[in-house]
Amino acid sequence: MFDLEATAEMLLMTAPVKASNERPTDDTPIEVVLVRASLEGDRDGFGRLYDLYAPMVHGILLSRGRRGEVDDLVPDIFLHAFTKLDTLRDWAAFGPWIAMIARNRAMDFHRRSKDTVEVTEDLRSTDTSTTKAEEILELIRGLPEAYRETLVLRLVEGMTGPEIAARTGLTPASVRVNLHRGMKQLREKLGFTENL
Amino acid sequence: MNDEYLWDKSGEPDPEVQQLEQVLGTLRYQPKPLDLPENFRPARRNRYLPLLAIAATLALALLAGVLWLRARTESTPQKYNAVITQTAPSPVGSPEKKNEELPKVADNSIPTDQDRKVFAVNVRHRTRHSAPALSKTERAEAIEAKKELIVALRLASEKLNLAQRKANGPATPGQIRNQHKIG
Repeated sequence: MFDLEATAEMLLMTAPVKASNERPTDDTPIEVVLVRASLEGDRDGFGRLYDLYAPMVHGILLSRGRRGEVDDLVPDIFLHAFTKLDTLRDWAAFGPWIAMIARNRAMDFHRRSKDTVEVTEDLRSTDTSTTKAEEILELIRGLPEAYRETLVLRLVEGMTGPEIAARTGLTPASVRVNLHRGMKQLREKLGFTENL
Repeated sequence: MNDEYLWDKSGEPDPEVQQLEQVLGTLRYQPKPLDLPENFRPARRNRYLPLLAIAATLALALLAGVLWLRARTESTPQKYNAVITQTAPSPVGSPEKKNEELPKVADNSIPTDQDRKVFAVNVRHRTRHSAPALSKTERAEAIEAKKELIVALRLASEKLNLAQRKANGPATPGQIRNQHKIG
């Protein structure tokens, strides 16, 4: 039920994206400038896009997969995006575009590695705070997709609501609702665990 | 619960959210430089490619249409020709001309598998009457025999007329011939 609601919110409340590839002005989003530069062969331009969007991609992956897998997947996703950059129609929508790539890649990776069991990360994480963090993250992963993604971006990556909306292409209202409902559900789940 | 702090970190901090931020912050993304391989280049899409594809499709469709129309117009008159050439030769004329006028049946008058698939084609299926080929002397004899037959038929006709007149008796003046007497 919550899953359906959250997915519908995510799909329907996405802010309309205006095509802004042409006519560069002072108000031109930084993404448009950087994508244009990248397409013209400026590798530093794409490096700046990576710096801007890597935390978001990391958060999206972390809300779906294990931490050890995520660190290797982030650069892979950007390399893939770099080769496919010409298929991006609206350069201002780089964020939603790479977010969708990250979601698809996480889904593929999860499907392929379903049968494998990762033990290395668990053995390595002897730090108690990291163990606690992993436990809470596991609880967040149990929430509906839209809530868990927004919560991870807010609580793990430290992004604010308006930043999440700007990066992912969701409307601020949608992000706010997802944060509020997600936090409510997380609190309920944490009520069953010991004190942090 | 302070929603403003959860939303944009403004207002009075929510202790639970702060605690969660602190714990989960250990999993935060650690910036690493992206190593783009030297041979990596973003592919530039050709803007004219879709237009070229549309133009090529239209040209192919046009060509196919022209070829189809041409094939159709070429195949239809041949069927009519096949019907026309099946006319019987006229009996008058030189023997050489007669031979030329012998019925010519075009190959396409024979229905092929392709023709059978067509629903309606204006082709008449006639039985074939081919005249026997005659030599010059045979033809001359035939003409003579025909003349004799005509003479014989005329003679027979005259004799029949005479016999009829005798049977009716001599014609009286004022009597209209071939009229039956009334009363």
